Amino acid sequence: MNPPGADKVSEMLSQGHWDQAVALLQQLDPAAAADAIMDLPFEEQRVLFRVMPVDFAALLIGHFPYYHSYVLLHTRSLESLRAIIGKMGPDQRAQFLDQLPGEAWKRVMDEISGEYSPANQGVDAAAADAAGAISHPIPAVEPILEAVQVEKSFRQPDGRLIQVIAPTDLSIEPDTITALLGPSGSGKSTLLRMLTGLIQPTKGLVLWHGKPLQDCAPNLAIVFQSFALFPWLTVLDNVETPLLARGMEHFERHHRALRALHTVGLEGFESAYPKELSGGMKQRVGIARALALEPEILFMDEPFSALDVLTAENLRGEVMELWLGKKIPTKSIFIVTHNIEEAALLADRILVLGRNPGRIRADFRIPLKQPRDRNSAEFLVYVDYIYKLMTQPDLDPALPSSAAHAVKTPYPMLPHARPGGIAGLLELLIDRGGKDDLFRVADELLLDVNDLLPITEAATLLGFARTEKGDVEITEKGREFSNADISTRKDLFREAALAHASLLQQIKTGLSSKSDGAMPLEFFRDILDEHFSEDETERQIQTALTWGRYGEIFSYDSATDRLSLHRLEHTGESEHDLQHQE
Amino acid sequence: MPQPTKTESGVPPWGVFPSAASSFLRDLPILLAGLAIFYGLLTFARYGVGPVNTQAEINLHPGALPKYAFFSVARIALAYILSLGFTLVYGYVAAYNAKAERIMVPLLDILQSIPVLSFLPPVMLAMIGLFPHSQLGAELGAIVLIMTGQVWNMTFSFYSSLKNIPREMHEAAEIYRLKWWQRLWQMELPYAAIGLIWNSIMSVAGAWFFLMACEMFVLGDRDLRLPGLGSYLQTAANAGDTRSIIWGLGTMVAIIVMIDQLIWRPTIAWAEKFKFEQVELAEPARSPILDLLRRSKLISAAARVTTKPAREALNLYFAKAGAKQSQHARSGMLSGWIWRVLMLVALVAIAYAVLGMGRMLVALSGAEIREILRGAGATFLRVEVTLVLAGLWTIPVGVYVGMRPNLSALVQPLAQIAASVPATALFPVVLLMLIRVGGGMGIGAMVLLLLGTQWYILFNVIAGSSAIPTDLKEVCGLFRLGKVERWKKLILPAIFPYLITGFITASGGAWNASIVAEYFHFQGKTMSTVGLGAVISRATDTGNFHVLLAATIVMAVMVVTLNRLIWRRLYGLASTKFKLET
Repeated sequence: MNPPGADKVSEMLSQGHWDQAVALLQQLDPAAAADAIMDLPFEEQRVLFRVMPVDFAALLIGHFPYYHSYVLLHTRSLESLRAIIGKMGPDQRAQFLDQLPGEAWKRVMDEISGEYSPANQGVDAAAADAAGAISHPIPAVEPILEAVQVEKSFRQPDGRLIQVIAPTDLSIEPDTITALLGPSGSGKSTLLRMLTGLIQPTKGLVLWHGKPLQDCAPNLAIVFQSFALFPWLTVLDNVETPLLARGMEHFERHHRALRALHTVGLEGFESAYPKELSGGMKQRVGIARALALEPEILFMDEPFSALDVLTAENLRGEVMELWLGKKIPTKSIFIVTHNIEEAALLADRILVLGRNPGRIRADFRIPLKQPRDRNSAEFLVYVDYIYKLMTQPDLDPALPSSAAHAVKTPYPMLPHARPGGIAGLLELLIDRGGKDDLFRVADELLLDVNDLLPITEAATLLGFARTEKGDVEITEKGREFSNADISTRKDLFREAALAHASLLQQIKTGLSSKSDGAMPLEFFRDILDEHFSEDETERQIQTALTWGRYGEIFSYDSATDRLSLHRLEHTGESEHDLQHQE
Repeated sequence: MPQPTKTESGVPPWGVFPSAASSFLRDLPILLAGLAIFYGLLTFARYGVGPVNTQAEINLHPGALPKYAFFSVARIALAYILSLGFTLVYGYVAAYNAKAERIMVPLLDILQSIPVLSFLPPVMLAMIGLFPHSQLGAELGAIVLIMTGQVWNMTFSFYSSLKNIPREMHEAAEIYRLKWWQRLWQMELPYAAIGLIWNSIMSVAGAWFFLMACEMFVLGDRDLRLPGLGSYLQTAANAGDTRSIIWGLGTMVAIIVMIDQLIWRPTIAWAEKFKFEQVELAEPARSPILDLLRRSKLISAAARVTTKPAREALNLYFAKAGAKQSQHARSGMLSGWIWRVLMLVALVAIAYAVLGMGRMLVALSGAEIREILRGAGATFLRVEVTLVLAGLWTIPVGVYVGMRPNLSALVQPLAQIAASVPATALFPVVLLMLIRVGGGMGIGAMVLLLLGTQWYILFNVIAGSSAIPTDLKEVCGLFRLGKVERWKKLILPAIFPYLITGFITASGGAWNASIVAEYFHFQGKTMSTVGLGAVISRATDTGNFHVLLAATIVMAVMVVTLNRLIWRRLYGLASTKFKLET
């Protein structure tokens, strides 16, 4: 699996022979050398990159992913950064600069032209020095938990198997915050539940310190999205519950629970009931309950997504403070989230999950120092990169070739967006000159990526917009749609939907083939059932109904569960449509 | 009940006592109540092991009433404890063993639809056979009989509560390795508590309804009567002794009101803490008795030395005992060969029972079959007409009251007391009046059914109409909807789910009540009308077991079919189309 030469390079580095390692790399093809470097721990990469000659660095730099190139470049001094960029091949340089999101591009341009003030660079220089100071490479660490080719399938009521997680390898290392990121329906929760032993993988193994998980009593804890506190127990009793389950005597139990409550800043609330607390306080209880066990790995399942933005921000900051200050005995944190910024803020390592079936599409480290500045160019490079990954399913940097044969051509999915949402996105794009970075759009609309992605996917599917490298751009058709009046919009929407959405095409063809132009919805539900899980089928149907009704492609009567090409006269249907437009 | 009230000077009258004396005074009623319960148990035990006297002379003197009342209450209490035990075991197994669930839930549905009196002969004969030489046999028979009237809805409630525990809460229990004991006390019982309490209240009300039938009956050539309030009322009715009927009725109402105040209200107020809600209610249920108990030093001191250490010890014992046994081992326990053996035994038993029933049913004569079918038709019509009549008066009245919060605060408690009087106890009075105005048993049966079932509908309609959102009412006012339009567009759809719930409960109750309503011993005569209930009662009286079996099967099948075909569908409609979402 390792690229040729990587083993040798890391062997030389372990003996401290940096020069020899560079010499060896210089003998390789530049792409292979870049691959070999990517395989090293990041600290070693930084040092290696700092010690290599400018010419060689310029030769290599175009072969890294752009975000990685950007970070590596900034480990060098401003002067040599200029020199390296100057010596890059013109095509490679153009490509590299083109890929950078706005802030990063501007900064690099300033740096090249000499307008970048070195005062701002202090932090980076310090970081670079720190990296240079590491003379011994970090020894390879034993993972605490390791998943080997785990996969999960669920049996449908009719006996068919639906694969929700394709065979996946994954390890959780000590001293790391790992974030599992993915769109809804990608099986993040399922994967977390397999790792914690809550559900059994259909195939594959989960190892805890090298032993099968079900044979040990792993010391792990989960912080749940819904808090999962017992409302009839006081805060203290809630925290004591897992300790009591381990048979801990009263005195020690009490002591440890109080200490955990103190850690999360809840002293004084011991005798309160959860319903007397705000959401953020409740989640603190959830965290205290987990920490009281002093778990080796703390799992967090969307821990902040049930909270409002400010509370989430605050609590996130406090958790990071505890972690960075080593105030909690936890060795590793594994956090599941759909919030890209949250992942980029917290994680040392990010796993991006793709869907249908769920599989790890990317696994990379974020070497930025904590605490991270969410407006810094480095940070935005990563956020942009993750958006790019998530909006372009075909951009699959980490998809192992072996997984390809297991995945049959999936049935095209309708993105779950309402026509109103699509129109809103297009209008925003027009306001912003027709094109913008996705993360900025998300910011502007106060939307989670979970809500935004289906909308951009839908706009792209309908031909109203293009997404490219984390940017979204309105098309000519999109402009036409956005500027039209209500009934023209409906016509344009119908045209686009029938041209691009295969489920709607299928329904329309089906209905047209019947003499009365009507069919039970159940028929299409059965078709979808073969491709999707029960929940996903229901969502597909709901989206198809919304689109079909908006575009006046068909009407649907919920009392008889029938679709029909004919408009219903004077019923609740038209009111329904109006609601959906908003 | 003694409760500190403020005097005019603003100082509580007990405030002048030294605190020890005041706390003693406060604890006095609790102490006395404890002694009284002990004395009562002693009496009951002495009576229970006494010689057989199933023909006890029922003394109609009002002075005998306290003893009779006590016996009846003790019977109902024991039956309730039995029901609770059965509920916990049956509900637990059905909820957690998927294989058992498939059999146990439909079985429960069928058992629920079998009228109480059909259980009478088998239960009585079995119990008297078990204890032929002491009073215990007949007593146990009566107790089990009362239990068959109250247990099923409690079991259903517990089972569905267990199934509804949120998934993340289950996962928290599993990841924190709660053993079954801790799960039961910290998660399952608290979660099920509120449903269980409300169903207990309904069950005990049902027990009062059937008390007369359970305490005094003819079984073939045997005339069994057990000393109690039910048999007192029945004897008084037989003798046509109006004064005694009124004495008995008064005692019964007084006891029911007392139980409500002393037991149910405090229990409901106490159960507030088990409400599974995220925010605190503005107006939680209160009970002065509960406050008294909570403030009592005696009780808290007793709890400190008894229940608290016991709970701690038990919790630790089970936590340590089950340390090695994992969750998977527990659920897998029944799945092996034990399960197969159990299944085999059950199958053989079922086959034997079906064979036996078949042989009994063959003995039916044509005339008997005709009588059963005619009775089934008559009872069906009677029940449905009763429901329509009940709906006709309760819907307008309930809506009128429900839309006026002030009025409903006044009417609700009065209606609750009226509803708590068991209709069977009123029956003699009703019959007396009907005979005076020249009505027959046909009308009498309907009146009794109406008395027994109208309350369910009324309370639900009041609840439904008081839950209509104000903005919807304002919209109707704004659009100047006429009275008819308002009922059609707003009121009827809004109360529909409540109405259906009320009708379902009322329908079930009416079928069960038809047995006592259509056949009655009064003034030394047996009065009856055409109906399935009358057929069952007469078959019990005359010991005609094959008719009893056939009629019971017909009734169970009719009730189950009605539920499946009509009520469940309407309920589905109520919970989808007519659900008021916020």
